[in-house]
Amino acid sequence: MSATTFNRLTPYLFLAPALVIMVLALLYPLGYMVYGSFRDWDPSQALGESEFTGLANYVTLWNDPNFRESVAVTLKFAVSVVSIEMLIGVGLALLLDRNLRGMSVLRTLFILPMMIAPVVVGLVWRYMYHPTVGIFNNTLKSIGLEPVDWLGQHALLSVIIADIWQWTPFIFILSLAALQSLPRSALEAARIDGATGWQQIIHIKLPLMMPVLIVTGLLRLIDAFKVLEVILVMTEGGPGLSTEILALRISRTATEFRELGVAAAMSNYLLILLMLLTLLMLFYNRWQEYRAAKAKRAIEEAV
Amino acid sequence: MLSITKTLRTAAAASVLFAGQAMAGPYDDYAGMTLVVNFPAHPHYDAVRKILPEFTKETGIEVEVDQLPYLKMRERQTLELAQDEGDYDLIAYVVFSKADYVYADQLENLARYFMNPKLADPSYDADDLIDGYVYNIGFAGGNKGYLQGKTGSLFGIPYGSETSVLGYRKDIFEKHGLEVPETYEQMLDIACKIPELEPGMGGLSSRAASGHHASHAFLLHLAPMGGRVFDDSWTPIVNNEAGVKAANALKTIVDCGPEGAASFGFGEALGSFLAGDTAMFLDTTVVAGQINDPKKSKVVGKVGWAMHPMDVRRGSQTGGFGIGIPKNAENKEAAFLLMQWLTSKAGDKLVAMAGGNPSRFSTHADADVNAKFPHMATFGEALKHADPDWRPIIPVWGKINADLGTTLSKVLTEDLDIQEALDGVASRAKVVMEEAGYYTWQ
Repeated sequence: MSATTFNRLTPYLFLAPALVIMVLALLYPLGYMVYGSFRDWDPSQALGESEFTGLANYVTLWNDPNFRESVAVTLKFAVSVVSIEMLIGVGLALLLDRNLRGMSVLRTLFILPMMIAPVVVGLVWRYMYHPTVGIFNNTLKSIGLEPVDWLGQHALLSVIIADIWQWTPFIFILSLAALQSLPRSALEAARIDGATGWQQIIHIKLPLMMPVLIVTGLLRLIDAFKVLEVILVMTEGGPGLSTEILALRISRTATEFRELGVAAAMSNYLLILLMLLTLLMLFYNRWQEYRAAKAKRAIEEAV
Repeated sequence: MLSITKTLRTAAAASVLFAGQAMAGPYDDYAGMTLVVNFPAHPHYDAVRKILPEFTKETGIEVEVDQLPYLKMRERQTLELAQDEGDYDLIAYVVFSKADYVYADQLENLARYFMNPKLADPSYDADDLIDGYVYNIGFAGGNKGYLQGKTGSLFGIPYGSETSVLGYRKDIFEKHGLEVPETYEQMLDIACKIPELEPGMGGLSSRAASGHHASHAFLLHLAPMGGRVFDDSWTPIVNNEAGVKAANALKTIVDCGPEGAASFGFGEALGSFLAGDTAMFLDTTVVAGQINDPKKSKVVGKVGWAMHPMDVRRGSQTGGFGIGIPKNAENKEAAFLLMQWLTSKAGDKLVAMAGGNPSRFSTHADADVNAKFPHMATFGEALKHADPDWRPIIPVWGKINADLGTTLSKVLTEDLDIQEALDGVASRAKVVMEEAGYYTWQ
């Protein structure tokens, strides 16, 4: 091997270990899942022993009303929690972006919920929603109001509230970081020009924070599509299928129904959905960059 | 002289050796061995852990216990049993797993162990084991594929099994002059009278949450009402008259139950009874220990026990756990000895005295056990009517059970029409059964 060829190959040699690890750790399980989704696979069998069924699992799911209901519940849950969390999280960040005494303690307190294990969160909320001994109904009764059947008639709303409580701090902490890294010059210029607080938020702060907010929202959305433990502990997907989100249905299909092939197909549907969302966000980012570059070019040409 | 002494010594040593061989105990070959067992986190198996040192003392065989929450245990076993060489010598399995493990040829058939004179204890008295439990949990390959029958065989022994009984508040019943219900009609009538007689108190606490909780509660009523999920040719008949009657009974119980009863899992239903919020509790016998534990219960000494009420027939549930030897176990014979010791008359009494669920008729009738746990006699009586076929134990049951449970939850919370709901379950179950090949011979 000549020195030139060796030199050309050197970077690839350095990259090789990372590539091997990526193939083994990421692509192999993914490939296994995709392969499994085309088979009638029982957990007692090795994958190789299972029967090849082509697209049967995907077609079965497409015609399964329970799966479709589960997708609808997932979309309803994810869109609701992410919208409300973004609203509250960003709002809180805008409120607390100032030098107050004890602010660091306050920030730590705010992010405590997301540090708690999901199973514990599920259990705590389940008992708070308890019809007779739960704090919510006891409080309602003590002020003369009718108790609410939280985990019965309002199960989806109840799990949405619990998720908002746990994950709003995530939005808050990232929004606050974004706010604090904004160029002070732009804000100062706005203030000098006489912009009110609201005008500063709407025309300066939010547009400048937008790239971070988009990524934050996307991360939360991906996570909301996969949430499992809290709902499993709180409602086990019920009543009926009203809180059975896709991750829970996948888990039940694999463990209760023992249909690993169908569970793998369901996971692939979820993966496709999440990839579409990610691509959408990527395109949006590109479009934003393109717009910014275009505006910059226009200014340069004008100057 | 020296030579005579030496000869005598040799003769004495030889006689001791031969005597030793002649009297060799069944455990000698296995003494010093360590068995690894997989048990669930369950009150019965907590009691088992207390008696295992006795087994080690008696046999010299050490036992290492891997105790897991039961759903986790099932997941772990699914992976373990599929390996060529497994980690576990003995496993406790939940009754549903019997169909999966036997079908996948992962459990040892126990015939060759009971045929081995060196291993099988002649005083074991297998006839004393509770029939309903043995057929429900241990047998496979007989009638319908999962029951006793001429083609069946034993793959496990019930251990930590349960049946259903009715717990009722003696004080409340006495206060209002109520008779302990013998029939479903009486029980439902009392269940709906209680909230009027004792404002704030529910009639009967039952599982009702979506999924297996609602399904379990429904099936508990289906068998005494003369129903089954399938007929003998595997046609779903869950939507017949008995099915509708059982679903109506469940709805009445939930409607007359404590606040929020429609979302109760087993924990909440039991919690409500322990907290004194309901007058009756119809479920598993495994709760007796908690009801008498002052740390967990506000109704200690106030609870009486009665047989599961009858409708057109008697039929209490059978469920819980059994123990079996995995095909890929390393120390199968020693595992059998442990299994035999645990489920022997002496072992069963030991575990019962430690707070576990006995698996033998004799233990339920035992004077010492009854002196310590007076409810045991009623439980023994209920076991005579334990129905091993109150729910089907077939590989596709998990899917049908989940559908039944979620649909019934809609009946309880969204007022879905019962007949329409059960018709839907039956038609979907038929598709599942068709796909699984149950109609191949029709």
